[in-house]
Amino acid sequence: MNTDILNIKRKRRSQAITFGLFRVLSYMVILILLVILGFIIYNGAGSISWNFLTGYPEDGMTKGGIFPAIVGTICLIIGSMVFAFPIGIMSGIYINEYAGNNWIVKFIRIMTNNLGAIPSIVFGLFGMALFVNYLGFGDSILAGSLTLGLLVLPVVIRTTEEALKAIPDSFRTGSLALGASKLQTIRHVILPMAFPNIITGLILSVGRVSGETAPILFTAAAYFLPRLPHSIFDQVMALPYHLYVISTSGTNIEASKSIAYGTALVLIVIVLLINILANFLRKYFGNKVKMN
Amino acid sequence: MKKIMIAIALIIGSTLIQTQAQKIKGSDTCLPLTQKEAENYMKANSKNRMTVVGGGSGVGFAALTEGSTDIAMSSRKIKFDEKMKIQDGGNSVKEVIIAYDALTIIVNPKNKVSKLTREQLAGIFSGKITNWKEVGGADMKIIPYSRETSSGTYEFFKSSVLKNKNYMNGIMSMPATGAIVQSVTQTPGAIGYIGLAYLNKNVKALAVSYDGGKKYVSPSVASAMDKTYPVVRPLYFYYLNKDQKKVTPFISYVLSSEGQKTVSEIGFIPVK
Amino acid sequence: MKRFTEKIIEGILKLSGGVTSIIILLIILFLFKEGSGLFNNSSIEKGYVLSVNPANPVKTLSPKQVKEIFDENITNWKEVGGNDEEIKTFRFEEIFDLYPDEELDGEILSQRLSDEISKENGIIAFLPERYLLTSFKGKLLESNNVSLSEFFLGKEWFPTAVPAAEFGILPLLLGTLLVSFGTIAIALPFGIAVAIYLAEIADPRIRKFFKPIIELLAGIPSVVYGFFGLVVIVPLIQKIFGLPVGETGLAGSIILAIMALPTIITVAEDAIRTTPRVMKEASLGLGATHWQTIWRVVVPYSISGIMAAVMLGIGRAIGETMAVLMVTGNAAVMPTSLLEPVRTIPATIAAELGEAPVGSTHYQSLFMLGCILFLLTLIISLSVEFISGKKKNNN
Repeated sequence: MNTDILNIKRKRRSQAITFGLFRVLSYMVILILLVILGFIIYNGAGSISWNFLTGYPEDGMTKGGIFPAIVGTICLIIGSMVFAFPIGIMSGIYINEYAGNNWIVKFIRIMTNNLGAIPSIVFGLFGMALFVNYLGFGDSILAGSLTLGLLVLPVVIRTTEEALKAIPDSFRTGSLALGASKLQTIRHVILPMAFPNIITGLILSVGRVSGETAPILFTAAAYFLPRLPHSIFDQVMALPYHLYVISTSGTNIEASKSIAYGTALVLIVIVLLINILANFLRKYFGNKVKMN
Repeated sequence: MKKIMIAIALIIGSTLIQTQAQKIKGSDTCLPLTQKEAENYMKANSKNRMTVVGGGSGVGFAALTEGSTDIAMSSRKIKFDEKMKIQDGGNSVKEVIIAYDALTIIVNPKNKVSKLTREQLAGIFSGKITNWKEVGGADMKIIPYSRETSSGTYEFFKSSVLKNKNYMNGIMSMPATGAIVQSVTQTPGAIGYIGLAYLNKNVKALAVSYDGGKKYVSPSVASAMDKTYPVVRPLYFYYLNKDQKKVTPFISYVLSSEGQKTVSEIGFIPVK
Repeated sequence: MKRFTEKIIEGILKLSGGVTSIIILLIILFLFKEGSGLFNNSSIEKGYVLSVNPANPVKTLSPKQVKEIFDENITNWKEVGGNDEEIKTFRFEEIFDLYPDEELDGEILSQRLSDEISKENGIIAFLPERYLLTSFKGKLLESNNVSLSEFFLGKEWFPTAVPAAEFGILPLLLGTLLVSFGTIAIALPFGIAVAIYLAEIADPRIRKFFKPIIELLAGIPSVVYGFFGLVVIVPLIQKIFGLPVGETGLAGSIILAIMALPTIITVAEDAIRTTPRVMKEASLGLGATHWQTIWRVVVPYSISGIMAAVMLGIGRAIGETMAVLMVTGNAAVMPTSLLEPVRTIPATIAAELGEAPVGSTHYQSLFMLGCILFLLTLIISLSVEFISGKKKNNN
């Protein structure tokens, strides 16, 4: 009897130790993030100003702002979304609503997962070979957007699929029973219901696009452009590439360091805002749907 | 859907009225200089537009051959076959030296060594000399930092210091000059090569001798201008003969006294 | 009519369902199209030839031998199977040192080159093909194509060496794998611990606080991580281990581990959560402690999901480019430990593609590296598929 109690106590203690360890490890992960964030904010906050956000680079990239890079990143985001959203959503609808559960769907799903696992630099190579050289777009917003679009396509497809899956079948059968066609059911019943989840997924994929460097390295990015892009065949500056360039090149690394930290901060803030927006929309639409 | 169609129409429409900017592409070494020259030039002539893109000297020549740039900037002379390729396309190139760059050998400030001969440098970068005590320093492993194979600086250093032999197998290669400065600052046993313009107080420049140790010269704008510092290379602009009219205004601005003032401000050596 | 439009739309949807498969096919097609030329090309630059004196018995040299000769590490022909004769290297440009430019017009140049080669017994010359006349007196060395074994088993990566480049990817491949496994060794204990903590131990409020932070960790651009690694982690490693250099495989592994954590945590946590409540309650009811239940019931039950998380983490590490490029030192040596500089495949592509002339052997070799990277990740994601598919069958 006595040994049993001892045994239990020992078990309890080892459990407490293990759980404590897990807790410490978890807090360490949070700490790492806070260190990275704190490091960038501490060094970058000083250089953020209105002029920094809306000005052009000056004095060999050691002064001035990053406006063209912000605009360029926005162009690339819009471009890739115009391409990836319609195709991705349609693809998701097909997989979930039409294809049923056979080998075709299995195959498509595996292919989508594979595409999602391909490294971004390989997309860069592919984009350069196909869009820049073969189709002759040159280094341009168009080529960069298409490359980034391909990169996030699997994310868009998967989110759409998950969002559609979450809708109970009873809605579908109900609508069909009322005499609506399959397409009408999807358009008027399923899509509106899945919309909030789809939109949050889409916003998260925007975050992915805004931070990628490798795919645009050989398809779109420029070191210095004194003007904003005029057409989709122009090259653009982009925030992640700008950060890479000024933290490794430039004649006066010390002088451009504050710009580098500032750029890193802007990039992180953009990603942060996108995450917050996604969470907000999820909640907002979630409530709305429930009320209906 | 309609909105998307309109948007696409707008985008396509806007490409048609696209105005032509002058494009300059090539060597990363020339980037800060050209960028600043372009910046100042546009300030003076607001209707001119310039695009400055890096990538490497070779990228510039490739773009010049394809016609996707107006000026190729380069930190090395055009290669024979690059010239041939352009001539095969029925064009010929013009070469302009816009500035000089003194290639500076840098070490960590804590390093006692302050001068090296070309032979010692070649030994270090080809892996035959591996410890600082072999060249009069402390007993410490030498960590040579090189640029990536893609840069003109890499090629120039190879031809000038290594006499066209190859770097040691597995040399540390940094993607850009800034990264070399950063690494040499952090690493006690490091040695690297950078353009004079990149020199800052966190690294120490070495005096170099090309005559077997008789005379060591420290890199500076003055010693590069009077040609006593041996590791100096020209920076070039290349353009196609047929584009002469288009590019002349900018090039003559760069060569003007105002343009050359920018050259020395950045840390390169003026042509005159 | 309505039926008809519906059919059309359905067709469009079906088409878009196949789009990922088409893209993958296109990627394979283009990468291999650009890369496959490599093995039909010589490692000697296009348009150039190596020539020796007509009396020299040597017929062909490997790229390695050519490099050693021009680096003056091999100085006698007998070392490469020739006569006992001193080697004298000659590069095309040297002709301009011998004669002034204006004397070398047109065919005279070719004539001079030809003379130069027939004059010296031990000469090996590197010349542009276009200057060879039919009357050229030198003997041309046979140039071999880059062979599969040179590419996959070669230990030296000198893609721009002149006259003969070396494309041995073994150091790059091993460097990539080493950094990836280092990543997993660091990220796995953390990832699993956090996943178990969030799924089983932490109360919902803490979980609610953790989740968005981990998502944010996933959202930070890799360049920011690289920048952070370069300025903070690299000097730290150098100090802690007393190393001559801080740019090491370890620096890459640490940065990549931080980057792979969100993937591992999210996937593993989802897997752990799928454990049916009944199983856990049964275990607890039999008198097992919470920890025993986690260790003996929950983890074994969700092991395939955890494996999938690990594989996805490796996948992320193998393909990551920018962060690695900035912190690992990029030295193309055969890696022996994590505390030495390494060069990974993605970093090589990103650093070199900009300069490699389109269509050159170097360019093709980089696309071939892309193919290899693609195949590596394909294998990984297929095995993830296999592992998680297996689990579904078990249920």
